[in-house]
Amino acid sequence: MPEPVLSARGLTKAFASPAGPLAVLQGVSLAVLPGESVSIRGSSGSGKTTLLQILGGLDLPDSGEVTVLAPGLGAVRPRAALGRGVGFVFQNYQLMPELTALENVALAARIAGVSVAEAQARAHELLGQVGLAARTDHLPAKLSGGECQRVALARALVNRPPVLLADEPTGNLDERTAEEVMALMLGVVGSLGTALVLVTHSREFAERASRRFVLSGGVLSPA
Amino acid sequence: MPWFLHLALRQLFPPGRRFPAFATVSILGVALGVASLLVVQTVMNGFGEEHRLRIRESFGDCVVTAAAPVERPAELARALRADPAVRSAAPYAEGPALLRNGDFSAVGGVRGVDPLDPDQPARRYVAFGSFDDLDDGRVVLGAGLARALRVRIGDRVELWSPAMAERAEKGRAPLPVQLEVCAVILTGFTEVDDRAALIPLRRFNDLWALGGRAHGLTLRLKDPADAEAVAARLSAGRPGLSFIPWQHVKRNFLEAIRFEKTMLFFLMFIITLVASFSIGSTLFSAVIRRTREVGVLAALGAGRAELVLLFGLQGLVIGLIGTLAGFGLTWTILTFRDGILGEVNRLFGDGDMMAKVYQFSRVPLHYDASDFVVAAFFTLLTTAAAGLVPALWAAGRKPSEAMRDA
Repeated sequence: MPEPVLSARGLTKAFASPAGPLAVLQGVSLAVLPGESVSIRGSSGSGKTTLLQILGGLDLPDSGEVTVLAPGLGAVRPRAALGRGVGFVFQNYQLMPELTALENVALAARIAGVSVAEAQARAHELLGQVGLAARTDHLPAKLSGGECQRVALARALVNRPPVLLADEPTGNLDERTAEEVMALMLGVVGSLGTALVLVTHSREFAERASRRFVLSGGVLSPA
Repeated sequence: MPWFLHLALRQLFPPGRRFPAFATVSILGVALGVASLLVVQTVMNGFGEEHRLRIRESFGDCVVTAAAPVERPAELARALRADPAVRSAAPYAEGPALLRNGDFSAVGGVRGVDPLDPDQPARRYVAFGSFDDLDDGRVVLGAGLARALRVRIGDRVELWSPAMAERAEKGRAPLPVQLEVCAVILTGFTEVDDRAALIPLRRFNDLWALGGRAHGLTLRLKDPADAEAVAARLSAGRPGLSFIPWQHVKRNFLEAIRFEKTMLFFLMFIITLVASFSIGSTLFSAVIRRTREVGVLAALGAGRAELVLLFGLQGLVIGLIGTLAGFGLTWTILTFRDGILGEVNRLFGDGDMMAKVYQFSRVPLHYDASDFVVAAFFTLLTTAAAGLVPALWAAGRKPSEAMRDA
C-alpha cells in the first residue's frame, strides 16, 4: 500500500465563544493516498473550512498532527510545505486583481523559488490545460467566474503539489459553470496524479470522489 | 525581479490606470515635502554664499588693521605679498563724506583704493563707465548713490570730508572738492550700491589728512577657505597688527545664517513627515483591504519577510519616486524663482523685499549636493518606515485569520 501524501491524526480544534469553547473538530483523522480524491461534506459552520486550513497548514490544531509528503522535503508539517506540498483552491478564487491570468499562475511558482522563465512556461502549460490559453493576458476583472476559478486551479497546481485542497470551489458559480469546473478539476488532477480533498455542500459533486466523508459535530465519518 | 517587488509595483501602479489615486497622491505629498525642504535649503545656501562673497569682496579674504593707522603700508604690503599663500595685498582707507550735486546730497562711504590693483573687486561690478579711468579727479559711485545724487558718467559731484571741515578757517565753510563720475558699480548688494564712493588712496589721504598712512590692508589669498590658518600664521611676529580672516569679520551673522538653515531643515522636514504619515495611513488602509490577499499569499508559500517586503517596498518606492519628483520640482521652482517671487510680491504688495530687506537684487541660490543626499536619506527613511508598520502588521497575521477576517 502506498504511503499517504496527507496524513492527519487526532485533530482537535475549538474556538472561543460567549458560551464557552466551541469544539469544531474532535479527534479527526484522515489519510489521503496519492492520486485519490476525497470529499468532505457538512452543514455550514460544521468546521469543514477549518479542517481544510489545518490540513493545508494555514491554521494549527489544538492537538493532533498533520504531515504532508512534499516533493524534495519528505514528510513534513504542512506549514513547512505551503505552496509545494499542498495547493489551494478557494471559493472566491482569490486571484491578485493587478496580475494577469498568466502572472497569477506564475506567481505561485515564483514564490516557490522557480525562475521567471520556468514559472511562465509552467503557467502557459497549465492555463492551456484548463482551456485558457487565449486569455493569459487578461486581468481577473476581465474573466468570468468560471474562468477565474480555472486560473485558480492552474495556480494551485503550478508547483505540482501531491495534494490539492479545494474549499467549495464551485460555491460561487452557476450550475452549468460549476459542472464544467468540477469536471475540469477532476480531469486535471487525475491526469497529474494529484490527490484531491474536496470540501463541498453539493452531494452530487461529493459523490464523484473516490472516498466520501461527512463532518458533523466535529467528527469525520464515512458517508 | 523578485516576485514581491513585481507585485508591489503592480499594486502601486495597476495596469490600465494612468494615475492611480494612492500612488499619485502619496508621491505628490513626498515630492512637495522634498521640494519645500530643498528650495529653502538651496536658497539659504545662496544667502550664505552671497553674504560670504560680499564679505570677502568688501573686506578682502583677510583684513589687516591696527589700533592706529598703519605706517608705511606699501612696505607692509610688499612683505605680506611675499607669503606664498597671499595673492595680493593692497592698503586701503575709508571714511564717511558728504556728497552733493546741486540740490541733491547724500552721505557716502568713501574708500581709498589702489586704482591699478587688478584684483579690485569693484572692477567686476562696473555697470557704466570704466574703472580704469579712476584717477585723482574722478570717483566711482555705487548705483544707488549715483541715483540719489542724480548723476551720470561725466557729471561732477562735490565732496566734503570731516578733515576738510577741521582744516577750514574758523568761521568759514570748507570748500568742497569736485570729482567727475567715471564709473557706476552695481553689486546687487544695496548696502554697497547705496553708499560706495571709490577714490584713489592717494587722493583719500590728501582729503582725510592721513599722510602716507592707511587704515589697513586687504589681503586676497590663493585659497580663501584657508583664511583662518593664514591669518594665524601671518600674525605671528607682527605685534600691533590684527589679521582678521573673512570668516571672523561678521562671524555672528554667518553663524546666524547657518543656524537658521539648520532650523529650517527641521521645520521643513515636518512636511515630509506629514507626507510619510499619510503614506503610512493610506498603506494601512490598503493592507487591511488586502488582508485576504495576504492570507492567499501565505497559502501560496510566501514567507513573513517576503510579505514585509511586499508592503514595505511600496512605501520605499513611493519615497524614491517622490524624492526624484521633488528634485525635479525643486529645480523648476528655483529656475523660475524670480518670476514666482515677483508674482507673490505683486499679489501681496510687498514690493521688492529682496532689495529692501535682504540687500540682494535677485533671490540667491547655491546647490549643495549634500543637502540633496540628506533630504533623500531622511525621506526614504521615513517613507520606508511608513510602509514598514502596515507591512509588519500584515505579515504578523495568521493566514487562516487573514482569510477569515477579510
